Amino acid sequence: MDWDWQFTFDVVLPRLLPVVPITIQATVLSFLLALALGLGLMLLRTSSSRLVSIPAGEVIEFIRGTPLLVQLFFLFFLLPEVGIVLPPLTTGILGLGIYNSALCAEVFRAGILAVPAGQWEAAKALNLSAYRTYRDIIIPQSLPPIVPALGNYLIGIFKETPLLSFLAVAELMHASKLIGSEYYRFTEAVTIAGAFFLIMSLVAAGLVRLAEFYVRKRILH
Amino acid sequence: MNARVVAIAALAAFLFGLVVATFSETRVFLPALLQGALVTIQVAVFSFLLMMASAFVAGAGKLSAIGPVRWIAIGYIEIFRGTSLLVQLFWFYFVMPEFGVTLPAMVAGVLGVGLNFGAYGAEIVRGAITAVPRGQLEAATALNMAPFKRLVRIVIPQAAIVMIPPMGNLTIEMVKATSVVSAVTLVDITYASVQQNQIHYRTIEIFMVTLALYYCFSQLIRFSMGMLEERASRHLARGH
Amino acid sequence: MTEPKIKFDQVTKRYGPLTVLDALSLDIAPGELVTIIGPSGSGKTTVLRVLMTLETIEEGTIYIDGEPFNMMRSGDRLVPASKAHIRRIRAKIGMVFQSFNLFPHMTALGNCIEAPIHSLGLAKRDAVKRAEELLDMVGLADKRDHYPSQLSGGQQQRVAIARTLAMQPEILLFDEPTSALDPEMVGEVLQVIRQLAAAHSYTMLLVTHQMGFAREVSDRVCFFDGGKFLEEGPPQELLGAPKNERAKQFLSKVLEAT
Repeated sequence: MDWDWQFTFDVVLPRLLPVVPITIQATVLSFLLALALGLGLMLLRTSSSRLVSIPAGEVIEFIRGTPLLVQLFFLFFLLPEVGIVLPPLTTGILGLGIYNSALCAEVFRAGILAVPAGQWEAAKALNLSAYRTYRDIIIPQSLPPIVPALGNYLIGIFKETPLLSFLAVAELMHASKLIGSEYYRFTEAVTIAGAFFLIMSLVAAGLVRLAEFYVRKRILH
Repeated sequence: MNARVVAIAALAAFLFGLVVATFSETRVFLPALLQGALVTIQVAVFSFLLMMASAFVAGAGKLSAIGPVRWIAIGYIEIFRGTSLLVQLFWFYFVMPEFGVTLPAMVAGVLGVGLNFGAYGAEIVRGAITAVPRGQLEAATALNMAPFKRLVRIVIPQAAIVMIPPMGNLTIEMVKATSVVSAVTLVDITYASVQQNQIHYRTIEIFMVTLALYYCFSQLIRFSMGMLEERASRHLARGH
Repeated sequence: MTEPKIKFDQVTKRYGPLTVLDALSLDIAPGELVTIIGPSGSGKTTVLRVLMTLETIEEGTIYIDGEPFNMMRSGDRLVPASKAHIRRIRAKIGMVFQSFNLFPHMTALGNCIEAPIHSLGLAKRDAVKRAEELLDMVGLADKRDHYPSQLSGGQQQRVAIARTLAMQPEILLFDEPTSALDPEMVGEVLQVIRQLAAAHSYTMLLVTHQMGFAREVSDRVCFFDGGKFLEEGPPQELLGAPKNERAKQFLSKVLEAT
C-alpha cells in the first residue's frame, strides 16, 4: 500500500476543497440556530410557571438523550410527508440546530445559575430593572464559563456535520466516500478528509480561546 | 430512592408497551427494530469495554514520567478527539483493507466507537487521578510503597469514584453514537428504522419507537451509574 | 563517639529564589528524640519532608547510619542515588502527617496491613497479627473494622501512627501531629508518642508547637528560623533560658499565648 500523491492532487483535493465551505456553512448556521433556540429554551426552562418549565425540561432531556442521527432521519422523512419540502442541507442544518439548542440551553442555564445569589440581591437592593440586571450584572458575569462550553459545542458541530452525508448532503464525508467508491481507493480521500477536520478543529479551538480571552479582558478587566 | 422508582416505572412502561405492540399494528415493524436493537447492544457493550480500557491506559499514560509513553498517549487522544467518528469508522472499514487488513464490520464498528470515546474518557481518567489529594501519595511514599502499587491500590480506587458521573455521561453519549455504525454496513436500530420506513412509511410511529428505545437505554445507564456511585462512596465522607 | 543515626551535611533546599534550608547541618544520635520548634512557615516541616524524600535537595548530603541517602557511592565518588537505593534506605524511615492521610477506602486494619503486605511482602496472616497488636497498643483494637470517616481526628491520627509502626521503621518523623486536632483530642495522641519515646527503640524527629510536651519528652530541642538551626540544646536550657535573640522572641510570644 503506498500513498498516491498524484491521485491526491489530481482528484482528491480538487473534489474535496470546494466542499469545505459547505461544511463550514452548515456548522456556522447550525451553531447560530442552536444559540437562538437554546436561549429561547432556557428562558422557558427557567420560567416561574411550572406549566412551562417542566415540559420545557422534558423536551430538552428528550432531545439530548436521543441520537442526533435519528433526529436527522426523522426530520428528513417527516417534513415532506407534512408538505414541507426542503433541500437536504437545510434539513440538516435544522436538525443540527435543534439538537445542539438543547445542549446550549443547559449551558446558558448553568452559566446563569453560577452567578452568586448575592449579585441578584444587590441589584434588587439598588432597584435595578430586570433588563438592566440581566444586561449589566448577570450576563457579563455568566459569560466566562459559558464561552468555552459553547466553543466546545461549536467544535462538536464541526464533527457532527459528517452525519449529513446520511442525508445525501454533499459535504466532506460524502464527497470522500464518493471518490472512494468511484476510484476504488479510499486511503487518500478519507485521510485527507480526516486531516481537514483536524485542522478545522484546531482553528476553531484557537478561535474559542481568543473569544475566551476577549471576554475576560473586555468584560471582566 | 426517586431514581429507582423512575427506573422501575420506565422499565415497566417499556415492557407494557412491548406487550401492547405485539398485539397492535406496530407488529409490522417492531421485530425488525428489535433485531436492530440487538446489534446496537452488541456494539455498545464491546465498545464500552474498549473505551474503558483505552481511557485508563491513555489517561494514566498521559501522566507518566516516561516521555515516549506520554507522547503516544497525547497523540492518540488528540487524533481520535480531533477527527470525526465517521472518519475513523471509514478508516477502519474502507481504508485498512488497502493496507492489507480487512476487518469485519462489527470489529471496525467497535474499534471506531471504542477508541473514539476512549480518547474522551482518557481526559476524564486523567482528571480523576489528579483529583486524588497529594497527601495520599505522600502517605504511600512514607510507607515505602512502590509507585505501581501506589497507583493500583491507593490512587485508582479513589479516582474511580470521582470518575463515575462523567464516565456515565460519556457512556450515554457513546450508546447514542452507535447510531452511525450503519456507515460500516451494520444494521442497528437506526438503520433498521430507516429501512422499515422505506417499506411501511409509518414515519412517526417508527421513529418514536426508535427514539424511545434509545431513551430507555440512556435511562438504564444513568440508573446503573447512580447505584454504582452510591455503593462505591459509602465509606467516603468527603472532606474531613 | 557512635555513628549518628541521621546526619544532615550542608543541606540546602530552594524554591526558586527562596532558600528554605540554608546549608543545614545536624547530627542525630540513635534512639534520640529531637524536637524542632520555630515560627510558622519557617520551613521546619521541610526538614522532615526532605528526609522522607517528599522533596529533593539542591546541595548537600543526608546520611542514614553513615550511608549516604540522597547520594550513593560509585567507586570513590558520590553520585545521585538510584531509585532502588533510595527505596532500600527509606524503608528505615516512617512519617506521621499533620493531616493523617489515612486511606479513606480502607478500614483501620486495612490501612495498617496494606504496606506490610505490598511493600514488605508479609503474609496476610502475619500482617493482620502485627496490625492488631499495634492497634491495641494505640488503644483502638475495637475500631479495627471502622473506616476513617467513622473515626474522630484523634483516633485517625492514632491509626496513622499504628500504620507507620507496622512497617517497623527505625526512624520516626512527626510533622505537627496534633496541629489539626481539636484540643480535647491532643492528649490521646501525645500519650502514644510519649509511650514510643519512653521505649527508646526509635530515633524520633518531632516538629510541634506543644512546648510543654516538647520539654517533657525531648532529648534535645532545636530552634529553626531563616533556613538554619539558630540554637539547640537540652529542653530545659533552650525552652527555659534561650540564648539566641530570635529564639527568645519566639518563645516569649508562644508562652504569651498559652
